[in-house]
Amino acid sequence: MENSVSKSNFRKMDSEEKKPRLSAKEFGRQKVLVIISAIYVVYGLIFYYLPLVGWIMAFQNFIYADGITGSKFVGLDKFIFLFSDVKFLRVIRNTFCMGLLNLVFSTIFAIIFALLLNEVRNKWFKKSIQTISYLPHFLSWIIVVSIVHDALTSTGIINDLLMRFHIISEPYPFMAKPAWFWPIVTLSNLWKETGWNAIIYLAAITSIDPALYESASIDGAGRFQRIAYITLPSLRPTILILLLMNVGNVLNAGFELQYLLTNGLVQDWSRTIDIYILEWAMDARNMDYSLGTAAGIFKTVVSISLILIFNSIAKRKGEERLF
Amino acid sequence: MKTKKILSLALASLLVASSVAACNKGGNGGKVTEFTMFAAMAGKEKESDNEIMNLIAEKTGVKVKESWLTGQEAGEAIGSIIASGKLPDFIDGGDGSVTLYENHLLVAWDPYLEKYPNLKEMYTDEEWDKFRMDDGKIYWANVFGNHYKQDTTTGQNGEAFWIQARVLEAYGYPTITSLDEYFDLLEKYAKENPTLPNGTPVIPYTCLCEDWKYYCIENAPMFLDGYPNDGCCIVNIDEGKTNPKVVDYNTTPTAEKYFRKLNEEYNKGAIDPDFAIQTYDEYIAKLSTGAVLGLCDQYWDFAYNIMGPFASELDASDGSKFRLDQLGCDYVPLGLTIEAGMEQQWHTYGDELNQSSGVAVTTSCKNPDLAFEFLSRLLDQDIHDLRFWGIEGQDYLVDENGMYYRDETMRENWKSDSYKAKHTCEYSYMPQWSGISKDGKNYMQPGESPSEFLATLSKPLSDCFTAYGCGNYVDMVGSANVYTTDLPWYPLWSWSNNLSTDTEGGVAWKNMGEVKHKWLPAVVMSKDFDTDWKAYMEAYNAVNPQAFLAEAQAEVDARLATAQANGWTE
Amino acid sequence: MAEMDLHVRKKKMATEDKIFYTINAIILIIFAVVTLYPVLNTLAYSFNEGNDAVRGGIYLWPRKWSLSNYAEIFKKQGMWQGLKVTFARTLLATTLSLFANALLSYILSRKNFLFKKSLSLFWLITMYAQAGLIPSLILYRYLHLTGTFWVYIIPGMVSAFNVMVMRTYMEGIPDSLEEAAQLEGAGYLKVFWSIITPLCKPVYATIFLFGAVWNWNSWFDAMLYNRFEPKYTTLQYELMKLLDNVGTDGNNGTAANGQAINKVTPTTVRAAATIATMAPIIAIYPFLQRYFVTGLTIGGVKE
Repeated sequence: MENSVSKSNFRKMDSEEKKPRLSAKEFGRQKVLVIISAIYVVYGLIFYYLPLVGWIMAFQNFIYADGITGSKFVGLDKFIFLFSDVKFLRVIRNTFCMGLLNLVFSTIFAIIFALLLNEVRNKWFKKSIQTISYLPHFLSWIIVVSIVHDALTSTGIINDLLMRFHIISEPYPFMAKPAWFWPIVTLSNLWKETGWNAIIYLAAITSIDPALYESASIDGAGRFQRIAYITLPSLRPTILILLLMNVGNVLNAGFELQYLLTNGLVQDWSRTIDIYILEWAMDARNMDYSLGTAAGIFKTVVSISLILIFNSIAKRKGEERLF
Repeated sequence: MKTKKILSLALASLLVASSVAACNKGGNGGKVTEFTMFAAMAGKEKESDNEIMNLIAEKTGVKVKESWLTGQEAGEAIGSIIASGKLPDFIDGGDGSVTLYENHLLVAWDPYLEKYPNLKEMYTDEEWDKFRMDDGKIYWANVFGNHYKQDTTTGQNGEAFWIQARVLEAYGYPTITSLDEYFDLLEKYAKENPTLPNGTPVIPYTCLCEDWKYYCIENAPMFLDGYPNDGCCIVNIDEGKTNPKVVDYNTTPTAEKYFRKLNEEYNKGAIDPDFAIQTYDEYIAKLSTGAVLGLCDQYWDFAYNIMGPFASELDASDGSKFRLDQLGCDYVPLGLTIEAGMEQQWHTYGDELNQSSGVAVTTSCKNPDLAFEFLSRLLDQDIHDLRFWGIEGQDYLVDENGMYYRDETMRENWKSDSYKAKHTCEYSYMPQWSGISKDGKNYMQPGESPSEFLATLSKPLSDCFTAYGCGNYVDMVGSANVYTTDLPWYPLWSWSNNLSTDTEGGVAWKNMGEVKHKWLPAVVMSKDFDTDWKAYMEAYNAVNPQAFLAEAQAEVDARLATAQANGWTE
Repeated sequence: MAEMDLHVRKKKMATEDKIFYTINAIILIIFAVVTLYPVLNTLAYSFNEGNDAVRGGIYLWPRKWSLSNYAEIFKKQGMWQGLKVTFARTLLATTLSLFANALLSYILSRKNFLFKKSLSLFWLITMYAQAGLIPSLILYRYLHLTGTFWVYIIPGMVSAFNVMVMRTYMEGIPDSLEEAAQLEGAGYLKVFWSIITPLCKPVYATIFLFGAVWNWNSWFDAMLYNRFEPKYTTLQYELMKLLDNVGTDGNNGTAANGQAINKVTPTTVRAAATIATMAPIIAIYPFLQRYFVTGLTIGGVKE
């Protein structure tokens, strides 16, 4: 019974979508849409695609005075520099893993939080918890990192508690251990952004027709059944779209948090692509925009490939997808 | 259609807005010309109606709006300013200076140096030559640490092993010259005085390792061997000043001995367990509690930030009140060496010339002649006094001998940020002098006037200086009386700081830094020093430090040759 | 018999409910406490005297009360100008971009739109293809956007992320509504305005919030494009300048002379700045919140 509810109402199967044919008649019917889209395309070309001309810099030794037209071409030198550096490969690993950890856990936590919040009946309580939850989003990483740091030093609260409960006999140097760096980054992210990330899911939950819940409870569906068969399937398109978009962002795992949290001892595990670029491409004497651009192109190519791959997987499974 | 209307509306307003902006740029009405200045350093903005700024504007006809680095690296900021096409009139590009030059955005000083003797006077011809770029022209001038007539330095702005004055006092001001004596004293004091009056446990020694400030742990071996701060290597002149030899201080026996000592102390618990992971803020927080007895750092890096906390009143456990500066927590510099009784150069006498950056006039400046005239006028004594002493009667007084001094209120005023924002106008990155005033008796900068200097010291500190027979920090360090101005290549860090990764040596330099960042704290925290030291040395040698040293040697030779060509002799 | 069964079941569910609500409330309260801590900690720092705060060890309550951190912020010249500009851009840019994003989302959510797929891809790519700082700077320079207020409004008007989120939401709206309207002769724009938009309030509120927060907090663009145009400064840029430069005296060569003893420190001023900029967002939040928190409870409580 519950299955039929969820299926008929929430799974917009692909077969339902009739592929429109590009005919003069259809074109005429959609004239308004086409004209407006054209305006958007012009805007997009100017503000997003035109700057990509700058990618030429990646194949040059770019100097401002000579500009993009005058700088010397060096072919693939910059890419070769990047990929022949063992450190860069390590940096890709760090970025990718931290990005993935963050993607997985932040999605799960935001959804769980939205679901739990949705089950609260007291309006006042619900609103207060929700308001509190998103507040850390407004704190800068500097503030959050200083709190995290405080908690993890030898005299910090974590070591204090662990020692008080005799779990360890002397302070454990969390920040000095490479193995702890990724978990600390992931937890810090969760701490700061879970409430904020949940906002989109909360908005999506509101679009669920209350009648569905009513009929489901009349049919004897319990709380967890309603979550499993009504709420989650309704959230499915939002979850999938956000996941797909964020998969493309795994290589943008961050800069500020890692940069502020790192130290010499854990540098092999903490450095992300952006930090590497900052440290290597932007040396004091001459900012190497070419190298930075090369890394940017690399990130873009990876992001778009990931999106294409996952989008086609989604397509094959008949799931919600980006295009 | 609606969209179209909105779009054209937006476009129209865009045009209006830009034309308004264009109009505003035009005339300024009054006689005062407003210039803009960007310095690629952190700094505080002055209020636009700043009193002394207006006074200077009345006298010179020029007012400069300064802006500072925010949230960017110097190179990044300079890059984005260039790309945005909107340059200020004056610029101090810091690390990005060369980029500005390479992009032909700076006005050469040469014709104006002849026209404005005040500017020319800043440096000798030989010194000016060091500023020349590869096209043979001068584009900027460093404005700091340049003494008029004589070196009047009172502070040890550079590096030293610092120790709280109360530790020395407790043992009758002993003579401490070696690393071993230093740590023995710290340990002994910590054992006998484990807490401060408010119960805060004492930390015998800490050491900052964060980012580029890891020099606090990194470069001591250079000083401990008795060499001055070339920053990136030792320049050995055993075979004479005409035959300088570059030596790597990271691999010397002294380096190993120093880190072994730190390791030993760490395992004894005498070094802060969090030293390797502390951030600068945490480091300052730690020092501010007065709990840290000793550290190795450059004065400017820690001292100014802890003055406030040291001067505020605290509650002791027994209910009484106390102040850290009165307790003797202020730090005194020690010029240590690896073996007792060696000569050292922690302090370097004479002016260090950093030719790698300085104030410049950009090609966007509409009236470069006025700009240079203004730079020159800033060095006139009356304006110089306005900048650094302030207004007579309000900011300083003159005694019967014509000597400048301040009373307590004035000193307090000059410590207040809000007073400085609305009243004082140092133009701190513009040409300036240290040393003796042009009147021959006063001082260019209040901080170098011995009476003003003494007036700012806490009692335990001045007691300590007196006990050692010293007048100031410089005497306390007691460095050998070597004038680095005699060394044409000094300081070599003005070269290594600007090293790019275009060359093999530059890449090596960068990699050496990374290896040291990782390994230096690791060997100090090691349970098996010998094994880890060996591993560190292997990792270090793997990044080809020889390439760097070779380039350093070449730079030393080149600087020597330039000097010799200009008539320098031993 | 059957009635009894129902009764028992209801009773059982009531106890189950109670247990569930209690556990849920406890989890959420723990979560709230954990997330509230950094905010309260920041609040405590913002009201603490700077020199005292340097020593650390402040948790939920200031040790030495002081308003000087807030005073420092509000007396900074340029702050009010920054506030004005930020207010204007937040209002204008957020509204305009909400409209622009909504319209594009509407087009992309039309099932039979001819260029649905290609146009989606076109916008999706903009999310990931980063040109970098310099090309954008040069572009805006040639478009004469640098040195104007419009550089805050025009370049960021369309955001692919927001479009995708809204599009997903709009696709969830039953087609029957649209079809009915179309039968009555409503064109695409009419459907967008009178059918889709009213139903999209929750997602509009969300996107508006995202946009407002982004605009309110941005400072990098002010620095890049209007560094030497104080009339187009923004609130956050002024705060950034303040923060970067608190307590930096004496770090330059004039060493001994600049012994400024600051009453405020970067830590405490940063805390105050954070609280001060959070306040307006928190103030508008309840107005947006009702669109995405209360939706379900209207129906949900009827059990």
